[in-house]
Amino acid sequence: MDFLTALHVSGSALSAERTRVNLASSNLANAETTRGPGGKPYQRLDPVFESMRVAAQDEAPTIGQSPLGVRVSQIVADPSVGKKVYSPSHPDADVDGFVTFPNVNPISEIVNLLSASRAFEANATAVETLKQMASRGLDITR
Amino acid sequence: MRIFDATLGRLERSLDVRLVRQNVLAANVANVDTPQFKPKDVDFTATMSAIEGAARTDGGVPMPNLPTLEAAGADSGNGGIAARDLPIVDVPAGGASFDGNTVDLDRTMVAMAENALQYGASARAAGKKLAILRYVVSDGNG
Amino acid sequence: MRIDSGQASIDTGAMDRLDRIDRTGSQPGAGGATAGQFGSELGKAIGEIDKLQNAADTQATSVAHGAGNIHEMALALEKADVAMRLAMRVRNKLVETYNEIMRMGI
Repeated sequence: MDFLTALHVSGSALSAERTRVNLASSNLANAETTRGPGGKPYQRLDPVFESMRVAAQDEAPTIGQSPLGVRVSQIVADPSVGKKVYSPSHPDADVDGFVTFPNVNPISEIVNLLSASRAFEANATAVETLKQMASRGLDITR
Repeated sequence: MRIFDATLGRLERSLDVRLVRQNVLAANVANVDTPQFKPKDVDFTATMSAIEGAARTDGGVPMPNLPTLEAAGADSGNGGIAARDLPIVDVPAGGASFDGNTVDLDRTMVAMAENALQYGASARAAGKKLAILRYVVSDGNG
Repeated sequence: MRIDSGQASIDTGAMDRLDRIDRTGSQPGAGGATAGQFGSELGKAIGEIDKLQNAADTQATSVAHGAGNIHEMALALEKADVAMRLAMRVRNKLVETYNEIMRMGI
């Protein structure tokens, strides 16, 4: 294991958390979108995180198993149905006069946002720590 | 009198182990949101004991050739510690978790900061020892 | 002088051995054996220094390729530096001693 591997690990987490932030933002932005692509109400999106091995740059054997980074293996749409509101004058009202709103709960989206943000910060700190370590290692030569 | 003595060897090995631990901790931080992920850690004290225990002796005098951490499958004939013998242990879960992920982010960040600090200290010590040698050998110049 | 290239310890205890060889080599027959031993010790030492330099080179190359271990490289370079300086000091001392002896005259 070396410095580059650790950087790849933290870097993968930064990308994954950024995706999570993007999805949470998208969900929040579309909390009231009653007509999304395909004419249906907007369905909130969730990232699925999965661990993945981070290989060393030149595939050389490393000490121990190569550490686990993370990636978004897929983005799934939440199939649950949003709340229905009775509003016959709404352009998207169905035959009964109900409008189906997206299944987005702004509070939980904000919690997701904050959690992803915290994880992003933690990984950014990890990168910074690694940089400091490398600098100290180089200081051995004078 | 040896110039590159056992203490320098110990410092070198401690640097290697600290780097491995940094990688493992970075992997924990990266996977803070991955379901079912179980964090790992390197038992530093146990690893250093194993390395010193495996140090070869030459007529009762401990050799300064402390074994290096071996890459998986490699064997430099130096009596290295095999990667599989590195005590990389599972961190015991603090409490229940709803998605199987037991990473304690705060504890991990603290451990990472401590690890980086110790790495810096070892690096500084090794650098200073070598600087002293250089000073002596250069007869007080350079 | 014996330099272990694995962890590069310069064992100056061997200097004592060489010293003893020197003193017991007062008989004519032993003179040749003394020179041979000293020469081979010196040769071995130079070989070990060379190994240290090569090790430092290998580390530097792997860092240049981006896959190297930073502190290993730094340590290898420092050790090669110290060993080479020591070798230069010893060499200078030997040359100085030789000149001194030559100047003694007949």
